[in-house]
Amino acid sequence: MKRSLTPERYVPAGILLFLLVLPYLLPNPFYVHIVVMMAIFAILGGAWNIISGYAGQLSLGHAAFFGTGAYVSTLLVNATGTSPWITIWLGGVVALVLSLPMGFICFRLQGPYFTIATIGLAEALRLLVLHFREITNGAQGLTVPYKGNAPWLLQFDSKMPYYYIALALAIAVLLLTRRMERSRLGHYLVAIGQNQDAAEALGIDSARAKRRALMLSAFLTGMAGVFYAQYTYVIHPDGAFGLGLSIQIALVAIVGGVGTILGPAIGAVILELFIQSTQILFAGQYPGLELMVYGALLVGIILWRPRGVFPLFQRGYRALVAWLPAAGRAGP
Amino acid sequence: MTPGKVVLDVEGLSKHFGGVQAVLDLSFQVREGEILGVIGPNGSGKTTTFHLITGFHRPDRGRVHFLGRHITGLAPHAVCALGLCRTFQVAKPFPDISVHRNVLMGALLRHPDPAAAGARANEVLERVGLDGRAQMAAGSLTTIDQRRLEVARALATEPKLLLLDETMAGLNPTEVGEAIRLISSLREQGLTVVVVEHVMRAVMSLSDRIVVLDQGSKIAEGSPSEIAANPRVIQAYLGKEYQGA
Repeated sequence: MKRSLTPERYVPAGILLFLLVLPYLLPNPFYVHIVVMMAIFAILGGAWNIISGYAGQLSLGHAAFFGTGAYVSTLLVNATGTSPWITIWLGGVVALVLSLPMGFICFRLQGPYFTIATIGLAEALRLLVLHFREITNGAQGLTVPYKGNAPWLLQFDSKMPYYYIALALAIAVLLLTRRMERSRLGHYLVAIGQNQDAAEALGIDSARAKRRALMLSAFLTGMAGVFYAQYTYVIHPDGAFGLGLSIQIALVAIVGGVGTILGPAIGAVILELFIQSTQILFAGQYPGLELMVYGALLVGIILWRPRGVFPLFQRGYRALVAWLPAAGRAGP
Repeated sequence: MTPGKVVLDVEGLSKHFGGVQAVLDLSFQVREGEILGVIGPNGSGKTTTFHLITGFHRPDRGRVHFLGRHITGLAPHAVCALGLCRTFQVAKPFPDISVHRNVLMGALLRHPDPAAAGARANEVLERVGLDGRAQMAAGSLTTIDQRRLEVARALATEPKLLLLDETMAGLNPTEVGEAIRLISSLREQGLTVVVVEHVMRAVMSLSDRIVVLDQGSKIAEGSPSEIAANPRVIQAYLGKEYQGA
């Protein structure tokens, strides 16, 4: 018996194939850089989505975990020569450990305390890194010494390997999110995000579920920080721990669609495209115009698509799958 | 009926909010297999009592024992896990997800596998008559169906004792009749139930015993006929027009 190739099978396979050959279709490394940034923000938005999307606990300080991963790894790589393939796990673990006191303290309460604490944590870390300049090099930041093409040190001449690593991480986050969504924890997070009192009344230990979600989210964000440091070779406190980064991580998921598996990835693609195109279109003409257009887009999305663009994509995708024929039969 | 063993033992419970004494030195017991009615005028402390028993508020004084276990001060989820589940006076559905998934959330407590919990949720939905609306978003249900959903979610946690907080408020007489039948059927299946209720017809017909609260204290306790004849209750709660009844 021949397995029929239905659109439900070949459309996702086609998308995956497209992502695999994508860097070869792009005219120059600058465009590859853009897609790498898309993948990094897909990871970050996906990680944020676990605690802030599914569980509804708004974080505006995810840069705390990102910067922690980036600094822990870069300090270790520079001091001991440890491979970033190892420090990427350590960066994630240190970010996870950092999230533990946050979870224990904040999740006993409801309300805006967690959000405020996340902002405070990232800002405190930024100031600490600025202060202890003998270790952290202060405002100048840290650089990863360039070693040429050194795969063991997570360094490559070309942007291509970075793309494939970032893509693999982003897909791993998607698969992890899907697995979580279908688990008891995933259901519990949704219940808590919908109504915490009702969840508690049904025997759901809301503080524990939120702590677990935050641990997972912080771990993935820390890993992304390590990868970013290796990719850009330079990190500094304002970038790695800044409120701007925290907000962008949140926006990626909000624009795409919170509490959905694919929303943050779609949001990452849209926001990065928009940031880059407004810069190219408007930069040099009127300073700051690209930021105004960017702001207007965000206001528009939040007003007209408060659940993000994911529902639109879902409808479009379903229509496409319904319209496409099964392979093997006569085409249209 | 023969009095069963004590399931819930409330001793000397007190709670104040600022200058308001919501509950004062309240004691009562619930016995296995019975339906206990709790009545009293608005603000007499009925809902606060539920909050104190189920861990949503911490009492100033007093103790609560459930199945012989001291549960005062436990978190709400821990109380529910022991088999004491409550519903809310103002229904708190998970509004954006389906009715079925709402109930599944409760079933996950005893059935950690989501597939098993989903199957259990279907059984419970059928029992409360919501099976036809399983795929609707819970937020779009009518008032009576939201109350049904509250009861369904609580039942899905497979409690030994169920506290129902004004399940019938705002229902029309036909709907009250349905609700009475549902609650009686729960007792027949071996559940112990405490109902806080304003609908007198329901309390009088359902309850084996009734506890009457006024200004946070118990002013009477007894069978429905005893309560209906108690002059203090008539004065405090039922009003003068009941005195001739």
